[in-house]
Amino acid sequence: MIHVHELTKNYSDLRRGQFEALKGISFHARSGQIFGLLGPNGAGKTTALRILSTVLRPSSGSATVDGFDVITQSAQVRRQIGFMSANTAVYDRMTGWEMVEYFGRLHGIPREELSERMESLFERLKMNDTRDVLGAKMSTGMKQKVSVARAVVHDPPVLIFDEATSGLDVLVARALLETVAELRDGGKCIVYSTHIMREAEKLCDRIAILHRGTILTEGTLEEVRERHGQHDIEELFFQLISQHDQQSLEHFLSR
Amino acid sequence: MKLANVKLILAREVRDQLRDRRTLFVIAVLPILLYPLLGMSLFQMSQFMHVRPARVLVVGGRDLGISPALIEEGRFAASLFSHPKEAERLKPFFPPTDNRLLKKGATAGLPSSAGRNSRKNTAGQASSGTQTPEIRLFQRTDKEESDQWDEARSLVQAGAYEAALYFPADFSVRLEEFRKSLARRSEARAAGEAVDEAFSPDVPQPKISYNGGNEKSLIASVRLTEVLRRWTQRIGDENLKASGLSARTARPFTVDTDDVAGRKSREGVKWSSILPVLLLLWALTGAFYPAVDLCAGEKERGTLETLLSSPAGRGEIVLGKLLTIMLFSIITAVLNLVSVGATGWIVLSRLPGFGLPPPVALVSLAIALLPMAALFSALCLALAALARSTREGQYYLMPLLLLTMPLVVLPMSPGVELNLGNSLIPVTGVALILRSMLAGEYWQALQFAPVVAAVTLVVCLVSIRWAVDQFNRESVLFRESERFDVGLWLRHLLRDRRPTPTVGAAVCCCVLILLIKFYLGSIFDVPKFFGVFARTFIITQIAVFIVPALLLTFLLTSSPRQTLLLKWPSWFAIPAAALLAVTLHPAAKLLQLLVQRLYPISENLRPSLEQIQGLINQSDFWSLVLLIAVVPAVCEELACRGFILSGFRHLGHKWRAIVYSALLFGLAHGILQQSLLASLIGVVIAYLAVQSGSILPGMVFHAVHNTLALANTRVAPEVFVQWPIAKSFATPDDGGGCMFTWPVVVGGTLVGLLLLSLFARIPCPKSPEESLEEAIERGQHADKPLEAEKAACGLAADR
Repeated sequence: MIHVHELTKNYSDLRRGQFEALKGISFHARSGQIFGLLGPNGAGKTTALRILSTVLRPSSGSATVDGFDVITQSAQVRRQIGFMSANTAVYDRMTGWEMVEYFGRLHGIPREELSERMESLFERLKMNDTRDVLGAKMSTGMKQKVSVARAVVHDPPVLIFDEATSGLDVLVARALLETVAELRDGGKCIVYSTHIMREAEKLCDRIAILHRGTILTEGTLEEVRERHGQHDIEELFFQLISQHDQQSLEHFLSR
Repeated sequence: MKLANVKLILAREVRDQLRDRRTLFVIAVLPILLYPLLGMSLFQMSQFMHVRPARVLVVGGRDLGISPALIEEGRFAASLFSHPKEAERLKPFFPPTDNRLLKKGATAGLPSSAGRNSRKNTAGQASSGTQTPEIRLFQRTDKEESDQWDEARSLVQAGAYEAALYFPADFSVRLEEFRKSLARRSEARAAGEAVDEAFSPDVPQPKISYNGGNEKSLIASVRLTEVLRRWTQRIGDENLKASGLSARTARPFTVDTDDVAGRKSREGVKWSSILPVLLLLWALTGAFYPAVDLCAGEKERGTLETLLSSPAGRGEIVLGKLLTIMLFSIITAVLNLVSVGATGWIVLSRLPGFGLPPPVALVSLAIALLPMAALFSALCLALAALARSTREGQYYLMPLLLLTMPLVVLPMSPGVELNLGNSLIPVTGVALILRSMLAGEYWQALQFAPVVAAVTLVVCLVSIRWAVDQFNRESVLFRESERFDVGLWLRHLLRDRRPTPTVGAAVCCCVLILLIKFYLGSIFDVPKFFGVFARTFIITQIAVFIVPALLLTFLLTSSPRQTLLLKWPSWFAIPAAALLAVTLHPAAKLLQLLVQRLYPISENLRPSLEQIQGLINQSDFWSLVLLIAVVPAVCEELACRGFILSGFRHLGHKWRAIVYSALLFGLAHGILQQSLLASLIGVVIAYLAVQSGSILPGMVFHAVHNTLALANTRVAPEVFVQWPIAKSFATPDDGGGCMFTWPVVVGGTLVGLLLLSLFARIPCPKSPEESLEEAIERGQHADKPLEAEKAACGLAADR
């Protein structure tokens, strides 16, 4: 469903000049699976997911979503995905219902069908309390629910969640994870980025650990554990990151 | 582009703005309340405001004893004013006795509200004639005449009086002598005695002193002068009467004036300088606040990313937002106009000559509002997209206002007329059309309306394009705040150089070229000798084009060769370019003539140009070819088709790069008549450079084009003499050159197009951005996955 091949992304700033936020990453995500993109802050997770959602363009490499190229067929890609991130906010001056309806209409869903779909969605996500509440007045949990509803209202085959539980309390986070799992069970291809290892262990079918723009390991949880001889994912995460930093330091000193 | 998406975005944004109290306040509440409140305040204030009469120190004029009287009962005679009530506007102050009295340091009997230093320096007494011990008496001696005058002047200068009127000591006596002599001459003439016709007794001049740096003093002097003019006229009338002549002897007739304008037209003219300014300024203000909220506000709140990942394309998002901003811009302008109009009409209708503006003018205001709102909205949207926050966005309002204000306000000056030159200036053209419509000059307005509409449309489209470009730039949409450090920035410029310049570097080069051109133009005088002309020309070419282009090339790019297109083109490109210049010459000459007919050279510029043309006509032809054809071909090409075109190629579309570089090429020529043709020629040369990938064909075209232009004026007359058959192809023109016949122009252009089609066949080298845009263009039209297009991903993403 999602194919990423040798994807790089360069940024430039005054201090560092040109630098690579992604250094040729490759991975695949399939339907009915949750692909976990794990990494510390600044690893490049958000950049990778923004490229998949066509908000950013890669510097080189390729990425396709459901066969559509993220650069040359960005409009088609956007019709196939639902994108939600911790950074995506809700509109302050729109109610929950209006917001979901707005994105549903942008996806071209006929008004009547959309209304029915939204009724069921609001029921399923237990978010009827957000129907008439303006975004500015919503709690963080309400906002996340609205964001999820907005991302899934058009029933896309691919869903991209970027640190979706960030800032949520345990109860809301748990409910959200359950929703994501349900969506996976419904046959969706889901890319889920997080830096919380427990979430990844509970939720993901395959994972990739991303650090400083490089994928350090990739595979199913079992494959990764076996490959590195470490059962605890959190320990494995620390181990790989420390090794990578050590190698980078040695490489720098040897130059 | 899906219109359904545009409509959805428009509806959402409008609803969003209508729920924003700040926007509603600025757009609806402010105009509805502001002007009535201002009007009420003015009305209230006017009750406390009354015009203070100007204080006039009259020295030696209280009891002149001259008929008719200048002063009656301590005031200027009411009959000397156009309206008797106006006599109250000038209040005379006299020395207290028949003698000349001036005081120094007087504190009593001061005129009310005297100037800053009045308490120290005030002279004279109020007409009540109270005298204080400080009053100094000046005896009427010739010796002190000048002192009295100086004293009066210094009091006006100190602000104690607005004006001083000084009568020399013997004024009345000499005037009386004059009158008596007139009477004697009249009697002598009646008795048939000989009269000395040359006799003319001298009457000393009264003097008025005023302070030109003080507005009130200036007004007082004007009023006083008018009073004295009337008084002098009356004295003249009495003199004539005394001589037995009618007053009509001096003024046998009066001039009657007839205002052909109707009442409505006269009333409309008053509005014509108010309404266009208000309309345009409020259209701009009304666009800015929603633009800031819709762009910077969305970025700040984090909702922009959500929208960008939706199926709505960037163009649809921009158009939706643009229409919203336009709508609010129009509403703001209309509400302000209605409110100002209603308030103004109620207040101004009490003044004579003010009425409702003509209905046709109101319709034209409404029509003009649309393109202006579109233009301002697109500009505001593009600027607001640059801002990271609403606060930062508001900082961008001032430069935009500063740039727009002169374009809106200057056309309202009485000296600025609606003509072709002015109608080409964006915003100014619209303001002038509106002024003409409001003044009832419909035919003049309609005559220039197509030009203004075309200019406005082009500027609108460019602004909208700019706004869309801003929404396609990641560096704009996801700009993060970074501490600015000059050292870091310079290091960044040098360290992160690309093979060819960025768009920003190209714009920087354009600005540098125009600035250097402007300053050099004001430094050099028009040369009188060919040597000086040649030296000035070469220095200008090097300083304006070569220095910025080469400096920026070596500083900001890593490949000067690639930047300046220094490579050999295909074998046929150079001869084809030379031939192209020859074949397009007749059409170019025709266009030049057309431009000069449409926009004749201004009278101010003509002498300088004629002087230069004189130098050119007297010089050696081949030296001129070297100077005027070869030098610009090298210098201008390296800058315009080298550095600037290479930079603009990163815009993602070759035609955009061609047009922008050609516009700069035109602007750099300085004179409007040259700029228009140069821009068109610039398009052709830039096309040659893009297609051939080399600067050389453009240089050759440029050199041949300029040589032919020279030859046309220098060689053509000789050709007509030596080969009379040449007159079948061309005819001599007024400028000493030749105009080609229509078959030659059409034939040449057709061959030129054929040659251009040869260039079109060359597979032109593309910039990464151009390749990317082409791939996207292909991909967007395919609903199936395009595996082959994946290769296009290997491109620099952030344009």
